[in-house]
Amino acid sequence: MASEPEQREIILQATYACIARWGVKRTSLEDAASEAGVSRATLYRYFGSREQLMNAVVAWEYRRFFEQLIDDVSDASSLAEVMELGLQSARKAIAEHEVLQMVLQTEPALLEPTFSAVGSTTRDRVAQFLLPYVLAATLAPGRDPEAVADYLARMFLSYMGAPGRWDLAESDQVKSLVEYELLGGILAS
Amino acid sequence: MPTVTEAHETTAAGNRMRIIDAALACVTRSGTRKLTIDDIASQAGVSRATIYRTFDGGRDAILGATVETEVARFFSTMAAAMGRAHDLSELIVTMITVSATYLSNHQTLAFLRAHEPETVFTHLTFGRIDTTLDAATSFAAPFFVQWLEPEEASRAAELVVRIVVSHLTDPDPAFDLQDAAAVTSFVDTFVVAALVAPMAPRSRSTSTKQQKGRSS
Repeated sequence: MASEPEQREIILQATYACIARWGVKRTSLEDAASEAGVSRATLYRYFGSREQLMNAVVAWEYRRFFEQLIDDVSDASSLAEVMELGLQSARKAIAEHEVLQMVLQTEPALLEPTFSAVGSTTRDRVAQFLLPYVLAATLAPGRDPEAVADYLARMFLSYMGAPGRWDLAESDQVKSLVEYELLGGILAS
Repeated sequence: MPTVTEAHETTAAGNRMRIIDAALACVTRSGTRKLTIDDIASQAGVSRATIYRTFDGGRDAILGATVETEVARFFSTMAAAMGRAHDLSELIVTMITVSATYLSNHQTLAFLRAHEPETVFTHLTFGRIDTTLDAATSFAAPFFVQWLEPEEASRAAELVVRIVVSHLTDPDPAFDLQDAAAVTSFVDTFVVAALVAPMAPRSRSTSTKQQKGRSS
């Protein structure tokens, strides 16, 4: 018998697999329960409603995404490097994220409540993550580390979500973006 | 056949503007979800036939044209303000404060953000943000050319658009985008200083850090 956290994880994984196959709208609680190999009653014990289950899946996948991102930048030794590695890794992860791409294609409006709810939390978390790198860097006079971290977090999320005129698969371009356009006014020259 | 009340304004362009204004009024009052051609017709004081004759794509074509018209109004306000800037810093500060003020006071946008956020959301996140960024950047870049090389001008304009979008979608209570003094200090610190920093020779940085593999 799987422990409670394990069973919860199994249900989340199974629901995610259903969404990958059929999309969010066409995934029912019955689908998720049968994919997980549990009864509907068991599923209800963990997630009281379809909405709760879907929110939990989004939160679960969101956590996985950022855990992977943090892992990808763990070798970075400077503020510039953490931004560069992070942008490249996030961009690649999003482009290869089949479920996210599918939802964006077919049901983009479904993401709205999630993004509105986590928007400022995400920015705060990225800023908190960047802060030690900001504090370790030599900043130009008058740059407030917290304001720098907030600005860089906003720009990180912006370029991660849409590269615009930059090709973030090109390390030259990422370097140029980070070192000059983003950090040019921040680091001491 | 045009009715008697419509007869005094039968030009296609006149009808078009009248229908667009009516659609905007309807959306400002009650959003897009339940909006019908009849609502628009009655607000505009024209017949359904006139609407279909003017917009053969129906409701969605009217909404598309309404968005286009509102974007053009916004850009024309922005252009008038940005054209008066005397230096790069002033240009960017103007772009941020005027767009923030305009968009914060836009009643239709306020209704949509409060009642059907997904209508706005898909244009501001990775759904369709590239299109929005591209349109805003293409509009703003020519104003930057006076102070920057063309390629830098586009990227600088894009950076400023991103700053505005980021703060409008995720406001910072401690930073008011409509406060010219606060924005000037922010722009001079983070934006202008970066834009006037010497650009890297592109050839210098060909080697890459080995990226960790990601199983997908």
